[in-house]
Amino acid sequence: MHHAHIDKFAYQDSVIHRLDSRVKFIAVLIFTAVVISLPRTSLSIPVCYAIGPFAILVLGRVPLRFVFRKILLVSPFVLVLALSCPLYDRTPLTVAFGPFIWRGTVGWMRCFTILGKFVVTMLALIGLVSTTRFNDLLAGLQKLGVPKLLVIQLGFLYRYIFVLIDRAHHILQARAGRKLRSLGFKRELRTASAMVGSLFIRSIDTAEHINIAMQGRGFDGRWRSISKLRIRRADLLFALAAVFFILGLYVFIRPVLQ
Amino acid sequence: MHMANELLSVPVAAGTLAIAAGALGFICRRVRQVIATEKLALMGILGAFVFAAQMVNFQIPAMPGTSGHMVGAVLLAIILGPHLGTVVISSVVIIQCLIFQDGGLLALGCNIINMGLVPCYLGYFLYKLVMTGQFSSLKSYIGAMLACVLALEAGAILVPIQAALSGVLAVPFSTFLITMIGVHFLVGFIEGLITVTVLAYLQQVRPDVVIDCLPGKVRLSRGAVLITLAIFAVIAGAGLSLLASDFPDGLEWSYAERPDQPDFDSIVSNEDPRVAAVDDFQSKYTLLPDYSGRASKLGQIAVDEVDLSAGWTSFAGVVGSAITMVAIWLAAWILRKRQPSKA
Amino acid sequence: MSKAIEIENFSYGYPDGTMALSEIKLSIEHGQKVVLIGPNGAGKSTLLLTMTGFVKGTGKVFVDGLEVNRKNLKQIRTCLGSCLENPDDQLFMPTLFDDVAFGPLNMGLDTEQVKKRVADALQTVGLAGMADKAPHHLSAGQKRAAAIATILSMTPKIITLDEPDGSLDPRNRNNLIKLLGSLSQTLIIATCNMNFAAAIADRAVLLDNGQIIADGDAKEIMSDFKLMSEHGLEVPTVSD
Repeated sequence: MHHAHIDKFAYQDSVIHRLDSRVKFIAVLIFTAVVISLPRTSLSIPVCYAIGPFAILVLGRVPLRFVFRKILLVSPFVLVLALSCPLYDRTPLTVAFGPFIWRGTVGWMRCFTILGKFVVTMLALIGLVSTTRFNDLLAGLQKLGVPKLLVIQLGFLYRYIFVLIDRAHHILQARAGRKLRSLGFKRELRTASAMVGSLFIRSIDTAEHINIAMQGRGFDGRWRSISKLRIRRADLLFALAAVFFILGLYVFIRPVLQ
Repeated sequence: MHMANELLSVPVAAGTLAIAAGALGFICRRVRQVIATEKLALMGILGAFVFAAQMVNFQIPAMPGTSGHMVGAVLLAIILGPHLGTVVISSVVIIQCLIFQDGGLLALGCNIINMGLVPCYLGYFLYKLVMTGQFSSLKSYIGAMLACVLALEAGAILVPIQAALSGVLAVPFSTFLITMIGVHFLVGFIEGLITVTVLAYLQQVRPDVVIDCLPGKVRLSRGAVLITLAIFAVIAGAGLSLLASDFPDGLEWSYAERPDQPDFDSIVSNEDPRVAAVDDFQSKYTLLPDYSGRASKLGQIAVDEVDLSAGWTSFAGVVGSAITMVAIWLAAWILRKRQPSKA
Repeated sequence: MSKAIEIENFSYGYPDGTMALSEIKLSIEHGQKVVLIGPNGAGKSTLLLTMTGFVKGTGKVFVDGLEVNRKNLKQIRTCLGSCLENPDDQLFMPTLFDDVAFGPLNMGLDTEQVKKRVADALQTVGLAGMADKAPHHLSAGQKRAAAIATILSMTPKIITLDEPDGSLDPRNRNNLIKLLGSLSQTLIIATCNMNFAAAIADRAVLLDNGQIIADGDAKEIMSDFKLMSEHGLEVPTVSD
C-alpha cells in the first residue's frame, strides 16, 4: 500500500508538527503570495526566500529526497510553460551574478524565475501538508470560515481516496490478468466504462453502508466535532518568526529592486 | 490542467479565490438546506470515486502509447445535479492540491473555477438542453458529447486567460489558447465517449441511479461513433486551417527576434489600453513593486546595462541563503544525533 | 425484566418479491452471547439490520422492551450498537478519535465525557494511544478492533456484529475472540465460520432461506453433522 505513505510524515512529531494548523496555513498562504509577486527577473530573491520553507522541512524532519520527488512529480505542466518562455521572448539580457556575467535572454530569465518560484512555493506547501495532520488542517480551515459541508466532504474524501484507489488497483489488475492483447478501441472503451461504472456502483453501495454506520450511531444530520485546536505561545512565536522572515527579507532586498 | 501559483499574479489569484470561495459558500449554504442526511456520505465517496475512476485508463486509437482517462466532472454533474457535482469536484481539486500538491495554494481559486464550477454547470445545462422533450438514444449521446467537449473546453480556455491577465508568461496568449483548445478538444471527445458509455452501463445495471437523467436505453452504435469522429476531424481540420490563415506568423513567433523588429506587435502588449490598465492595477496592488512589466518594458531596462554592484548583492544573497540552509540542516542533524528520536 | 431482543412473526421481502426473512420468531435474554449461523445469503445481515430499524417489514421487533419504530429509533440506537461487516464502512472519519467520538457526540455528551469514553473504548480493544491515527494507517486486525471501539464508546447494552472474523488471520481472530469474550454486553454475532462461532457463543441460531431452522445450545447444534451439512455449514474442528 504505497499510497498510504503519501502523508506519513504528517503523523510524525516535532516542533513544527505541534504548531496550530491555522497559523501554519496562513503563514504559507502569505508566503506564497509574497513569493509569486517577487520580480520576474530576479532569481536570487526567491532563493533567499527558500530558507523559510527549508527550515520548516528540516525541523519537521521531512526527508528532502521525498520533497523533491514530489515536486518533480507535479512539475510537467509548469515545466512546459516555463520552457516555452525562452522561445517567445528573446530580448537580450545581461545578468551580473557576483563574479559571473551571463548573457542570455529575458525569456530564459523568466523561465528560471518561474521554476525557482515554483520550487519555493511547493517547498512551502509540502512543508505545510507534511507537518500537519489532515484532520487538524480541516479543523483549522473550518475555523477560518470554510463551509462545514465542504469540510465534511473533504474529510470523507480523504478517508476514502485510499480505499477506492485500492479497489481501482484491483480492478486494473484483474483486467491486466485477462487482457492479453489489444482489444480494439470500441471494446477497450466498453471495458473501461464497465470498470468505471462498477466502481461507481460500489461507491454508492459503500455510501449506503456508511450511512447505516452513521445513523446506527445516532447521527441526525447535525455534524458535531470536538476541536482540539488551541493557539499556544509557540504558535505566536512561529507567527512572529514568519512575519519577521517575510518582511525582514523584503526590507533587506528592497534596495536591490530599485 | 492544474493552474500553478507561478503563472498567476496576486490580484488574479486573489480575485479568482474570492469568486470561487463566494460561489462555493453560496452553493454549500443552498445545498445544506435541501440535502438529505444520507447524501452526505454519498458525496464524499463519489469524490473518492473520481480519483479511482481517473486511474482507469485505456488506449486511444491511432495514437499508440498514449492512454486516456476520464475527468468525471460532467458525469457527476449529470447524475448528481450541478450543485452537488460542483461541491464534489471542488473538494477533489482541493485534495489534489493539499495531499498531492497538484496545483498551488493560490491557484486553488482558478482550479476550482476551471475544473469544478464551469464544467459542472455548463455541462449540466448543455446536457439538459439537448435532452428536453422526448427521450431518444441519439439525443442522450449528442447531449453528453456536447456537454463534455464544450464544458471542458470552457474550463480550459480560462487557463490562458488567467495567465494572460497575470502577465507572467512570455508565451503569446493566442498560442497558449490554441494549444489548450486543441488538447482539450481531444480530452473532451474522450470524456464524452466514456461519459456516454458509463451512463449506458449504469442504465443497464442500476437504472434507479440514473433514472432522472437517462430515462431510456442508450445504444452506442459504431455508426454514431464514426460520424462523431468524422465531425470532430472536420472541425479540427477547419480550426487548423483557419489558424493558419488568421495567424500567418503563428509558428514564426518562435523565431522572431524582437530587437530586429522594433514594431513587432505581440498579441499581449501593454500598448493595448486594457492590458495596460491591468498592469497598472497589478503594480498598484502587488506586494512588491514590479519593475519588469511585460515584454516591451523589459526590453528597455535590461539591455546591456549591467549594474555590477546589484550583481554582487544578489550573489551575496544566494550564497548567504545557501550557507544558512546548510547551517540549519547541520544544526538539526546534530540535535537529532544528541537526542535519540522517540519516533 | 424485558428481553434484550424480542422478534414476533417478522417477515421482509425484497422489492422483487423474494423473501429475505419469513416468520422470524426470536427472543434473546440480556447477557447472552448468540451466534447467527447460516450460509451466505441466508438472511443473517438482514436480521441484524432489522434489530436496528434499517429494514422495515411486517411483524414486531422489540429491543430492550422498546418497539422498533421511528419514535424510539434514537433511544434504540444508543442501546443497541451495530458493527458492520466491513470496518472501512464503520470507520468513516479522518482519525480514530473522531470515529470513536462520533457516537458519544451524537448522544449529546459534553467534551470531557466524550474524551473519557473514547479513551476507555480504545483501552478496552487494545488501541490505547492510537487515537490520532488515520484509519488507512491501521492494519486489518486494528481496524476490526477500532470498529468495535466505535460501538463500545456508546456503552450499549446489546452489540450486533456482522461477520467480525472476516479477513482476519488466526492471531487476530484469537485476539478478537478474547476481546468479545471479555465483554459483558449481550452479543449477537453473524458468522459462517463455525470454529469462531463455537469459541464465543453459548447459543446458536441457524438461519437458512430467511427462516430459523434451529435455535438452542451452541454446542448441540453445531455438533449435529447432518443438520450442519444440510445447510452448507461444517462442524467446528476445535472444541473445548
